[in-house]
Amino acid sequence: MTKQEVLGRKPLRVLEKIRENLEKLNEKMEIIIELQKRGRKGFQPLPDAPLDVMTLLSMPDHLRKTAMTVCRLGRATADEVSQQTHRARAVESGYLNQLVIMSHLKKERVGRKAYFYVEKENQG
Amino acid sequence: MIILGNIIALHSYKGGTGKTHISINLAVSFAKHGKKVCLMDLDFRAPSLATFFSHEKVECWLNDYLNGACKIDKTLIDISHKINGEGKLFVVLANPSTEAIREMSAKDRKWEMRALGRLLALRNSLLNDKGFDYLIFDTSPGLQYSSINAIVSADLVIVAATFDRSDVEGTKRMLDELYDLFEKKTEIVMNRVLYDVSSKSGKNSLEKKIEDIYQTPVLGMIPCFCDVAKAEGAIIFVQEKPEHLFSKIMDEMSNKIERSNSV
Repeated sequence: MTKQEVLGRKPLRVLEKIRENLEKLNEKMEIIIELQKRGRKGFQPLPDAPLDVMTLLSMPDHLRKTAMTVCRLGRATADEVSQQTHRARAVESGYLNQLVIMSHLKKERVGRKAYFYVEKENQG
Repeated sequence: MIILGNIIALHSYKGGTGKTHISINLAVSFAKHGKKVCLMDLDFRAPSLATFFSHEKVECWLNDYLNGACKIDKTLIDISHKINGEGKLFVVLANPSTEAIREMSAKDRKWEMRALGRLLALRNSLLNDKGFDYLIFDTSPGLQYSSINAIVSADLVIVAATFDRSDVEGTKRMLDELYDLFEKKTEIVMNRVLYDVSSKSGKNSLEKKIEDIYQTPVLGMIPCFCDVAKAEGAIIFVQEKPEHLFSKIMDEMSNKIERSNSV
């Protein structure tokens, strides 16, 4: 293997490591979401946080993009959101879980798929 | 799902920049070119379209649709018979009564969020299912909930601006802190400008000046016409005075939007 090939592999390995860490982070966030849902001590759900336009305006850019995509799609998986935003699925999954923890989105599992949506009562 | 139509929101920083006048004439221009258009009044604080179309029978207001009290079909008023051309023109009016204005201004965040959901749903119900080519939202000026909901739902935001200094500064801020944040395609219509319409170079240099100020494409520049002021908002120029330069500028603008959509 040439030196150039070795150097070319390193960034790929770093990216792969970042992806693995993101997946781990997502797993931890999913545990937090479950604990919040069950109302476990120390994991009380946050009060209702409607995803209105003023809230969208005050969000950091990366979360706004994800939140707006869910608003537009109505109900979507991380895969579907990533197709719209052109960001990696693992990245979108992290942002979606953050929005769930912040009580802006709801999450529902159907089989192996996780769907994210704005609460129906809030959507009208 | 293929979405064929387009949603356009007319917005401005300050009031009195000509949003409603531009919205109506743009809607009629599209309809005259054979398009199916729906013009909606989203200025719930100062509804204006109800005055323009006061003779029309209103079954339901846009307020009712956003309140979840009716389907969008019930709000549509067909005024196609009033325009010359093969297109279709519908209007959806906001309730101009003081009580309705007061009620709309007291809505909470949850209601505004539901309203956003209902505006986003128009893409399916009107553009996809009913085959409308354009929905045009005439909005309130500034940072109002209803205006931002309209902006978020739109594909193109047309900002009606003037050379008034406070309007220039406010519009610049909105471009940076509102439209950009929502990643909206935005174009400027400079209204009541003073330039020599017969000089092409004068027009080009003014357009360059506006683009330099706002760093945003210019959709159109409308000179200050005494005829428009004298009409006191009572006539639709594109319909009643098609040869007037104001009407020609409106037609140019609608053609420009149409061309950019077909690319």
